[in-house]
Amino acid sequence: MRGRGLTIGWALGGLAIVVYTLLPVAWIVSLSFKVGEDVDNKRFFPTDWSWENYQTVFDSGLFLSALRNSVGISLIATVASVTLATFAAYAIARLEFPGKRVVLSTALAIAMFPTISLVPPLFDMWRTIGLYDTWIGLIIPYMSFTLPLSIWVLSAFFREIPWEMEQAAQVDGATPWQAFRKVIVPLAAPGVFTAAILTFFFAWNDFVFGISLTGSEAARPVPAALAFFTGESFFEQPNAAIAAAAVVVTIPVVVLVVLFQRKIVAGLTSGAVKG
Amino acid sequence: MTTVETPAPVTARAATTDRARRERRLGWYLCAPAFLVMLAVTAYPMLQAVWLSLQNYRITDPESRRFVWFDNYVVILSDALWWRDVGVTVLITVITVSVELVIGFAFAMVMHRIVFGRALVRTSILVPYGIITVVSAFAWQFAFAPDTGFVLGWLGMENYDFFAQFGSSIAVICLSEIWKTTPFMSLLLLAGLAQVPEELQEAAKVDGATSWQRLWKVTIPNMKAAIMVALLFRTLDAYRIFDNVFVMTGGAQGTETVSFLAYRQIITRTAIGLGSAVSVLLFLTVVLIAFVFIKLFRTDLSQVRGDR
Amino acid sequence: MRDKAVRTSRVTALVASATLVASAALAGCGSEPDVPVLRWYINPDAGTQAKLAEQCSQASGGRYRIETALLPRDSSGQREQLVRRLAAGDSSIDLMSLDVPYTAEFANAGFIRRFSAADARRLTEGMLTGPLESARWQGDLYAVPFNTNTQLLWFHRSVAREAGLEIGPDTDVTWDQIIEAAEETGTTVQVQAMRYEGYSVLINSLVASAGGEILTNPEAGREVKPGLDSEAGREAARVIRKLATSKAAAPDISNADEGATQAGFLADNGGFMTNWPFVYTAETTALAELQAQLEEAQSESKREELRERIAAQEDRIADFGWARWPAVVEGRPSAPPLGGINLAIGAFSEHPDLAVDAVECLTSPQSQKIYMLGEGLLPTVESVYDDPEVAEAFPMADLLRESVDEAAPRPVTPYYPDITATLQLVWHPPAQVDEDTPAESAEMIVDVLHDERLS
Repeated sequence: MRGRGLTIGWALGGLAIVVYTLLPVAWIVSLSFKVGEDVDNKRFFPTDWSWENYQTVFDSGLFLSALRNSVGISLIATVASVTLATFAAYAIARLEFPGKRVVLSTALAIAMFPTISLVPPLFDMWRTIGLYDTWIGLIIPYMSFTLPLSIWVLSAFFREIPWEMEQAAQVDGATPWQAFRKVIVPLAAPGVFTAAILTFFFAWNDFVFGISLTGSEAARPVPAALAFFTGESFFEQPNAAIAAAAVVVTIPVVVLVVLFQRKIVAGLTSGAVKG
Repeated sequence: MTTVETPAPVTARAATTDRARRERRLGWYLCAPAFLVMLAVTAYPMLQAVWLSLQNYRITDPESRRFVWFDNYVVILSDALWWRDVGVTVLITVITVSVELVIGFAFAMVMHRIVFGRALVRTSILVPYGIITVVSAFAWQFAFAPDTGFVLGWLGMENYDFFAQFGSSIAVICLSEIWKTTPFMSLLLLAGLAQVPEELQEAAKVDGATSWQRLWKVTIPNMKAAIMVALLFRTLDAYRIFDNVFVMTGGAQGTETVSFLAYRQIITRTAIGLGSAVSVLLFLTVVLIAFVFIKLFRTDLSQVRGDR
Repeated sequence: MRDKAVRTSRVTALVASATLVASAALAGCGSEPDVPVLRWYINPDAGTQAKLAEQCSQASGGRYRIETALLPRDSSGQREQLVRRLAAGDSSIDLMSLDVPYTAEFANAGFIRRFSAADARRLTEGMLTGPLESARWQGDLYAVPFNTNTQLLWFHRSVAREAGLEIGPDTDVTWDQIIEAAEETGTTVQVQAMRYEGYSVLINSLVASAGGEILTNPEAGREVKPGLDSEAGREAARVIRKLATSKAAAPDISNADEGATQAGFLADNGGFMTNWPFVYTAETTALAELQAQLEEAQSESKREELRERIAAQEDRIADFGWARWPAVVEGRPSAPPLGGINLAIGAFSEHPDLAVDAVECLTSPQSQKIYMLGEGLLPTVESVYDDPEVAEAFPMADLLRESVDEAAPRPVTPYYPDITATLQLVWHPPAQVDEDTPAESAEMIVDVLHDERLS
C-alpha cells in the first residue's frame, strides 16, 4: 500500500522534472512558429502556426554554412579529443611514471582558466600561422578545453576496470585482441562515451571562441551566427527567426540525448564521482 | 597543486628495472599528445596574459605601450566597479549554486527512486544539460521580455519590464543559469546517492527512523563527498558566468559580472593590459575558491579521479 | 605561393583591362577565376550592399570582383571584429563599411588607408559637409561617406491634435512640450536609452542641442577636456531624468533600442518617438507588400480582407507625422543625431588601387540612390536628394536634408570607444540620472582615457 503511494509520489516528481526541463524548450519551439503580430502577443502559443521563420533561417545561407561548420568542427574535435584523452587516461590509470601529477595538475589549471582572456593571444597566434577562420583553428582550442575533463573522467573509469579479467579471458583461450574487445571495450565504453558527449556538448555550446576566431562563413559556428541575423530592418532583432535557429541547433542535442540516455547517465554518474 | 597528488606508489627499490623504464616511457608517450595540445593553446596565452597585465597597452595605440609593473592591479583593486562586479558575481554564484543544490538533490532522489517513466525522466533532464547556453539565455529572455514574453501575459503584467531593474534582471539571469545547470548537479548527486549503502537505510528503518530522519542521518552524511564535489564544480563554473549576462542584459542595470568586465576591457575597450589584469585576477579568484573547497571543506578530489 | 597568385592576377588584370574592356561589359563576365577579389565587410542590411557589390563588379569590366562578408548586427560588435583583425594586420580586409564614429580611431591607429589628395577631391565631389567631417582625420580623408542618417521626431497626428500641440515639419517643439503632451494624452515618448551606442547618440544630441559639447577639444587625444560639467550637460541630464521618471516613459525605456521604440510607438499608447527614417519606410514597404498580395489574391474573401488591411495601413501612414528633432532650450534649434556608414580601405589590402576604384563606384550618386530606395538610408551626395523618385519615397526629404546639415556629430576622436563606454556606464539607467551625472561622467572620461579607471 505504502509502496504504491510512494511509487505514485515519485512518478509525480518525475512529471515535475519533465515539465521543468521541457517547458522552456516548448516555449522556444512555440515562438519559432509565430509570425507577424503573433510574435509580440505575449501568449505561449501562436494563433497561426507558420513555417516562415524556418524558411527565413534556411534561406539566409548564413545559417546552413554555420550548421555545417558546427557539426563538422564538433565531431572532429570530439573524436580527436577523446582519442588523445584515452591514451593519456590509460597511462595515468595503469602505468607508473613520473610526471603523472604534472599532467593532472595542468589539466585542472586549464579547466579553471577564464576562456575570455585567451582570446587576444590566441587570435594573434592563429593569424601568424594561418589558422584564423579555419576549422582547425576552432578544433584545437576545443580539444584543449575538453581534454582536462575527459582525462579525469576516463582515468577514473579505467581505474575501476578489473584489468585482471583480460588475463583471465586470455587464460580461457581468447586471443589478446578478443580479450580486449570482448572484456575491456564493453567496460570502458561508457567512460569513453561520457568523455565524447562532454566534448561534443562543449564544442557545440561554445560562443566566445566561435565569435572571436572566425571571420566568415568558412568556419563560423551556429552560436556565433545567431548574432548576425537581421530582421526586416537591421535595427530590429528578429526574435522569431532566432527562436527557429535555436530550435534547429537543439535538435541534435535532443537526438543524442534520446539515443544515448542510458550511456550518458551511466558515464556521468559512475565516472565523475566514484566512491 | 599538491591536492591532486596520487598516493605514492608502492614501488620497490628496483624501480629502475627495464620493465619500469619501459613503463615510464610508454606513460610519457601516451600522455604527450594530450599534454602538448593542452599546452599549445593555453600555456603560452596564459603566460602572455600575465606578461600583458603588467603593461599599459592598447591595440589601437601601440606606440604608447609601456611596462607599468603592478599599476593595472592597483587601478582595478581600487576601483568601485571591480568590487561591485565581484559582489554581483558572488551573489549570482551563491543563489544559483544553493538553489541548484536543493532542486538538484530533489531531482536526484526522484531519478534514484522512480520506477515508471525512469527513462523519460532521465532523458528529459539531459536536455537542458546539452542545450546551448546562448539558446537557454534567449529562451528565458524571450519568455520575460516586454515584447514577446508569455510570462507577462500569464501574470497579467503587460506593461512591466523584468530587465529594467537590478533585482528582477538578476532573478531571470539566475533562472536561466539554474535551469541549464541543475541537471549536471543532480547527475553528480545521483552518483552520490547510489553510493549510500542500502543496508544502512534498512537498519535505520528497523530502528524506527522516519524518512526525514533517514535523509539527514543516513543519506546525506554518506554522500557528503559527492555533494562537496558537485558544489565545487558548479561554483567554479558559476563564478565565470558570461553568456547569460551577455545575451540577456549586456551588463545593464548593474548585472555585470567579472567575466563580462574582463570581456569589455579586452574586447570592447581594447585595453589589453588592464583587461589581462582583470582576467588574471579572475583566474586567481577561481583558484582561491578551489583552494578553499579543497583545504577548508576537505573536498576529496581523489573521489573524482577514483583514487582510493 | 601567395605572391605568385597576386602576380598572376595582376597580369590578368592588365590583360583584362587592355583587351576585355569592350567585350567584358557586353558579356558581363565577372566570373573569371583570376579576377582579383576585393573582400568588403558590410554591416547586415536587407541585401542592397550585396547588390551594389555585384553591380560594381560588373561595371569594372573584369578588373575586380567584390565579395561581401558580414559583420555582426550591432555597431560596437562590428568595430570589435574589425579592430581585432586589423590590429593583426589582416590583408583580407579590402573594403569595410564603418560606422561613422569609429573612423578617427581606425585612421589614427593606421588601420585604414589615407586617400591621396587627388582621390579625395574626386571622390567627395558634391558631398554634404556633415558626413564628410566624420570621414576626415587631421585634415586628411580616410573614408568616403557611403550613406548618412539622422533622426526626426515622429508623432501620431491624432495624439498631437488631442494635446493641442502645434507641430509639423516647420515647427520647433521642445522635449518639455512633448513630454507634457504625452502625459496629458496618456501616451509615451519613445527614445533609445538601452545601454548601447544609440544611447550615446541621444546624450550627444541633447548636450549639443543645449549648446554644449561632450568634449571641448576632441583632437587632443588622451588630453581632452570633457565639456559635460556645464549648464548644457546638466540640461541634457534634466531632460533625460524628466522623461525617464515621467509617466510618458515607456516601461522598457532602459532596454529600448531602435526596434523596441518603433514597436512602442506603433502600440496603442504610442505618441512620440525620436528615430531614424527607417520607421517610415517600414510602413510604406508594408503597404506595398499588401498591395502586391492583393494583386495575387485568388479568392474574393481574401481580397476583401486585404482591402481592409490596406485601408488600415493607409490610415496608419496618414497618421504618421514628422518634425525636426526636439529642442532642449526653447528658441534654440536642436542638433539632431548624425549616423551613417563610411567606406574605408583596409591598410593591409593587397589591391589598394582597385579598392579606390571600387569605393568610387559604390559611393557614386547612382549607387547611393539605389541604396536609399532599398534601405531607407540617406545619400551623402547632395544631388540625389533632388531626384524625383527619392522625393516620392521620402516626403520628408527636405527636413532630412536640413537635419543632416545641422546635425551634431559624435566627437571625432580616436578614443571615441572609451568616451561612449563611459557615457553608457554613468548615464544608465536613465531614471537614475541626476544633476551630478554630467560632472561624474566628465571626471570618469579623463580617468578612463589615462587608464586609471575601469570602464
